Amino acid sequence: MSAREQILGKIGPLAEVKHPGAFHGASEDFDFKASLEVVGARVVSPEELERLFPDRQRFEKTLDGLSLAEVEVLEIDGEFGVAENGAIWLTEEALPHRVAPFICQHLVIHVQKIVPNMHAAYMELTNQTTGFGLFLAGPSKTADIEQSLVIGAHGARSLTVVIHA
Amino acid sequence: MLSHAEASENFIADAERTDWHDETLWFVRAKRDKASKVLPEWEALREHASQVKDHTLANLGDYLVAFEAKAKANGIHVHWAADAVEHNAIVHQIIAAQGSKVLVKSKSMLTEECHLNDYLAEKGIEVVDTDLGERIVQFRNEAPSHIVLPAIHLKKEDVGETFHEHLGTPKGNKDPQFLTEAARQHLRGHFLASEVAITGVNFAIAETGEFVVCTNEGNADMGAHLAKVHIACMGIEKIIPKRADLAVFLRLLARSATGQLITTYSSHFHKPREGQEMHIVLLDNGRTRQLADPKYKNSLKCIRCAACFNTCPVYRRSGGHSYHQPVAGPIGSILAPNIDKKANADLPFASTLCGSCSNVCPVKINIHEQLWFWRQDLMAAGLAPVGKSFGMKMMAYTLSNPAIYRMGGSLMRRFSSLLNSSMNPWYKQREMPQAPKESFQEWYKKR
Repeated sequence: MSAREQILGKIGPLAEVKHPGAFHGASEDFDFKASLEVVGARVVSPEELERLFPDRQRFEKTLDGLSLAEVEVLEIDGEFGVAENGAIWLTEEALPHRVAPFICQHLVIHVQKIVPNMHAAYMELTNQTTGFGLFLAGPSKTADIEQSLVIGAHGARSLTVVIHA
Repeated sequence: MLSHAEASENFIADAERTDWHDETLWFVRAKRDKASKVLPEWEALREHASQVKDHTLANLGDYLVAFEAKAKANGIHVHWAADAVEHNAIVHQIIAAQGSKVLVKSKSMLTEECHLNDYLAEKGIEVVDTDLGERIVQFRNEAPSHIVLPAIHLKKEDVGETFHEHLGTPKGNKDPQFLTEAARQHLRGHFLASEVAITGVNFAIAETGEFVVCTNEGNADMGAHLAKVHIACMGIEKIIPKRADLAVFLRLLARSATGQLITTYSSHFHKPREGQEMHIVLLDNGRTRQLADPKYKNSLKCIRCAACFNTCPVYRRSGGHSYHQPVAGPIGSILAPNIDKKANADLPFASTLCGSCSNVCPVKINIHEQLWFWRQDLMAAGLAPVGKSFGMKMMAYTLSNPAIYRMGGSLMRRFSSLLNSSMNPWYKQREMPQAPKESFQEWYKKR
């Protein structure tokens, strides 16, 4: 008997419990900009961005993630931001490569649209069929050494967000 | 193998370090409180998540089959493993087909449960753990002591020493910023070179066949997106029905784990990237047995946030290694006896049954009750330590015989030095109260 049959065979019938359905009553009063700062991102105006990263680059689609290993400042577009936690939804369609927002040293994201919370975020993703997508909240970080927060573990060392909404 | 109590004795021998460990984890617990209390709907979220998990467990077979069909349609290879041996063999086969000798792995407690690293090492394959905490303990040939903070038992001096030895950082440098940078450079080399990447899975969605991996460092993504082959290993209980359910779970997970609003990266793997091979291994390893037992079924709702570790007065003061299991703490103490009752018979007793674990659990697992159920089962199975079984029998006998109880009380009052000696384990590290001259009954009779 295959492992699949064994496992499924061992799962006997249990008393039915209903799925609770959609979550209602979620708070909506959040400030995207404030959340971004909590997660360690920097929010700037288009003018400030120009001053900070005049050499930032956008990249064409590539199948070779390694070709992005030397990218210093990557500029991309986020699909929307989530006010409650500063997360930005990115899909591979808007990225040169799936590894792009991780492998670059610094990341710049433009956000045109903001939703209040994660429930609203997943409403946006109802018909999403992308092969890879992620919520990205701030720069890469770790606190694995004595709980001291260090920014820039393996992914981008900084996240700069320009809000156009 | 040392029992929890024996291993704890070694851990607390260093009082200063014990206090530090205790306070550091309590600090994480306090961050969790702060992050949860800003949401007025927090308790409703917990209840909702608990119900989604109850519903999923009641229909686990159907959801697994639905997930498999969707994932396959998405171009993902799906494998089933009845136990750790099968799991490791499947993973090895995939790696061998690729011909890799070194690979990267992000955090996966499931692969710890299966002892995958040791298994692959025997086959001549080196696994490089890429989570910073996990890399640190891997260098030291230790196991993670916490499922979210693997190196929480170590001080920065220890990490500095370890990195000096393995990465050639300057001796005596213990700056977390500097040491993290050294690890970044060291691991980047591995990310760029690895053809195979292994990750864990936080959630797998039956509706869409996608799976979600959460990290703060970005190590799972660095590995998976650069490798030709991505192997994701998950327990069958990681399934949730719908994508929209993720809203509730992602809100609960990071706030419960570290007090963050959300983990830095919540990556949704839906289809392999062009030219990539993607595999999912679904592991049982005793989970269906746990599911079939109404007393312990709920333990499968766990989302591995470790809030129960951080709040537990016993975990904080005994350290993760004392639990001699990949998943320590209160949740580990109710999961481990299902896998091996005899070897883990000490764990359900490593608790004060204060119930704080159940209070902070984001999916409302009745952890402290299950600890108590296990104690009963282990006693009934004759697996409790001899001293404990004997003591419990003596206690039951004494308490059910008023005359013996009175005599015992009077003897103990007279020879209280017997209790205040190293013969009494409860006496260690404690100041015992003075025994009164007379019992309540004697005093009451006189008035």
